[in-house]
Amino acid sequence: MSRAQHQPVGRDAAADYLAVVTAQLTGPTSARAAIIDELRDGLLAALEVHQARRGSPQEAMRAAIEEFGDPQAVAAAFAPELGAVQARRVALGLLVTGPLVGLTWITAVAVNALPPWQQQLTGPWLALPLVGLALALACPALGLTVAATGRLGRRLGGRVGGRASFPLSAAAVAGLAAVVADLTLLTIIAAHALTAPGSSMWVPVVLAVAASLTRVTLAGRAARRCLATRANLT
Amino acid sequence: MRAEVLKGHLDALLLATLTAGPRHGYAIKEALRAGSGGRFDLPTGTVYPALHRLERAGLIRGSWSTVNGRRRRNYELTAAGRRALGEERSSWQEFSAAVTALLGDAPWPAQA
Repeated sequence: MSRAQHQPVGRDAAADYLAVVTAQLTGPTSARAAIIDELRDGLLAALEVHQARRGSPQEAMRAAIEEFGDPQAVAAAFAPELGAVQARRVALGLLVTGPLVGLTWITAVAVNALPPWQQQLTGPWLALPLVGLALALACPALGLTVAATGRLGRRLGGRVGGRASFPLSAAAVAGLAAVVADLTLLTIIAAHALTAPGSSMWVPVVLAVAASLTRVTLAGRAARRCLATRANLT
Repeated sequence: MRAEVLKGHLDALLLATLTAGPRHGYAIKEALRAGSGGRFDLPTGTVYPALHRLERAGLIRGSWSTVNGRRRRNYELTAAGRRALGEERSSWQEFSAAVTALLGDAPWPAQA
């Protein structure tokens, strides 16, 4: 029996083709689902065109699939775009949550008149410049990610910022910097609570700690995923 | 014609297929094939990533519709896309005139 006779036909063949593409795609779920919806419509549109030309649904679907090309090559061609979507989402997420997390910490420090509010860095607060260092690293990384994954990306072309892996690297750096900043703040406040217990207003502190714990989890996971996607590009 | 030959020109060609109005991915691919007299018959699956890249660059805009019960993404040129296409056309005309002058039947180097 020939290979052609083994091949499934009609919509089953389209589903099999799309399953291969789906298995190879990495990136945000919604973006992957949109790509598959679009490819499915394209395959069925191709099927309609070929069926009008050839008559046989089996022949038409074989021709449509052949016309689309190797499903693994199609998935690979989407990888840079999905990587850009992923990096941009991470960057925008950090840009939005960064000021919010910062605000919770400033509030906690202000209402409790903690050492930084009195312009004194003593005890565990001596580690606070590490947060500044992490922010100094995260901010340009976020700016570059947003620029490289937006309209400016086309202008960057083949230069460093135009490489498909660059936005993912920059977003991962920003995510890891956010993790460092949050872990530093959490360590400082834990040390402060142990070394200088007092009648603090704990609600703002608990809110700040909760915000940082949430961001550590999410930013850490996002950075890992960006690095995993980047690894798949190369 | 091989896809590699089109490298560097694909974006402009895709933009050009949208000057007549919005099209979905497969219709764009068919317009490329028909408009080139069958010479540019690219693997359809690789046209879609290029469209996504152009959309991210702000040169085309995609929108979803429902056709025969399935989701369809249609693309149209943006103002930036029209400007980019105009620039690509001018650049191509200059380039092709220079290549024609060098590769034409006239003795080489071309005489003034």
